[in-house]
Amino acid sequence: MTETDFGEILEESFVRCRDLDAPLADRLQAFANELRRLDPRFAAAIDALVGRLAESHAGGVAPRVGEPMPAFLLPDDQGRLVRLEDLLGKGPIALAFNWGHWCHFCRINVDALARAENEIAAEHRHVAAIVPDRQKFAMWLKSDAKAPFPVLSDIDNGYAMTLDLAFYIGDELKRMIVSAGLDPSASQGTDNWMLPIPATFIIGTDGIIRARFIEPDYRMRMGIEDLLAALRSAT
Amino acid sequence: MHHIRYFLAVSETLNLTKAAEQCNVSQPALSRAIKALETELGGELLRRERTLSHLTELGQRMLPMLRQSYETALAAKMVAASIRKGETAPLSVAITHTVALGPFAPMLRQLARAFPGLQLKLCRGTGREVAEYLRSGTVELAIAGPLGESWSRLDTFALFDEPFGLVVSGTHRLAGRDNAEFSDLASETLLINSAFEMIEELAAFREANGILDTASHQVATQEDLLELLKADLGVAIIPVGAVETDGICRMALKQLNLVRKVSVYTVAGRHRAIACAALFNLLRAADWGFNTPTKQSRMAC
Repeated sequence: MTETDFGEILEESFVRCRDLDAPLADRLQAFANELRRLDPRFAAAIDALVGRLAESHAGGVAPRVGEPMPAFLLPDDQGRLVRLEDLLGKGPIALAFNWGHWCHFCRINVDALARAENEIAAEHRHVAAIVPDRQKFAMWLKSDAKAPFPVLSDIDNGYAMTLDLAFYIGDELKRMIVSAGLDPSASQGTDNWMLPIPATFIIGTDGIIRARFIEPDYRMRMGIEDLLAALRSAT
Repeated sequence: MHHIRYFLAVSETLNLTKAAEQCNVSQPALSRAIKALETELGGELLRRERTLSHLTELGQRMLPMLRQSYETALAAKMVAASIRKGETAPLSVAITHTVALGPFAPMLRQLARAFPGLQLKLCRGTGREVAEYLRSGTVELAIAGPLGESWSRLDTFALFDEPFGLVVSGTHRLAGRDNAEFSDLASETLLINSAFEMIEELAAFREANGILDTASHQVATQEDLLELLKADLGVAIIPVGAVETDGICRMALKQLNLVRKVSVYTVAGRHRAIACAALFNLLRAADWGFNTPTKQSRMAC
């Protein structure tokens, strides 16, 4: 099978899983199953990475519920500099870290957030996604999911690093990702192969974290029902 | 993040006790943190010995990346810190003469909005001068084409590629064409900017295509070059990505497959002030619209 064939098959599986009429967790699981069926070696390498991250307690000192969310100043998908406090001025926010535009699980996650947008906006709550991708690719992820919310560029994972959420992907996965025809270094503008743990934080207008979801397994994300409930109760 | 700080301390001192002292933690805490980093990276970073520890091959390989990440995280923290009213944010930047400021104006606008106390100092120079400004600390950040510097502390991040093309005045006989060939230039006078960073590469291209410098005017700035061009003193071969188009026609030059890579340069390990760190991220994140393939193929007036 050539690279492009595989890419096309993967994209078809992805679209099928993304468009399932099911909760986010089921859609992610469906794609995880597809990926394991199509490329068991890649799935095994991901399992090993998740194991390493769990064993090293990656994300262990990330900010907790009840603590203030550290400030940021990041460029958005339009090239505007955005501060966390600017976003909080508009209401409580869900901040979702993602690997990038090339990550299928991230695309499903951003799609699910976009689908929930009407409910979120109706209660004057907001969403922002953060990726280590440059603006052009942040924009791509946003249009891919028809997301109405900003996608912020965290260059070199600088902000994620201050939250203890950035990690090195490892030599084995690096080789596999490159041979699959993907190249995060082009979209990130650096070849350091760092990624953020795809965490989600729910933050109140006072900047205090009301709920968080941190899971080193990038195939698992905060459920939309949990996210909505936490956003609703945040002030 | 503290894991990395501890590892960087060990890489400097090569001694766990000294590193722990430097980081103000107990040695067991430092060892645990490094163990966790090793687990995350999937291999040993240190060969521990009684007095001196050594970095393993993996440790050596990871060191530059971890150091850069650490510096980036420090910068991210600093940039986000709320600024007090009336606080100034100085920023000194050098740009080579031939790089147009236009593409960077949106980022500077964002910067001025985010930092009301921004005090910008913008220097221009040749490639050599710009490199010297960086080296001496006169500027914190530079934007230029290839500097041809081998200084190991010079960090280079490519921003965009600018294709070379032919520029002629709006009334020139070639004006309005999509492209031209070297043979079209046989009877033309060339305008040559002696301050251009890639002057040698360009000369080699011209010579290889039979265009010699005999009929030419020399200028020292891009501005002068464009003025003489508009006054019909000659035509020029320059990077055309960001050239202003008022009264000027640009077109592709067949056989000329030359691009200028415009990069942002900083000095590794040197403290970046708040506005510089923010500009650095804006430049790295930016979408250089004029560099997209569709626009590149439409180079006519």
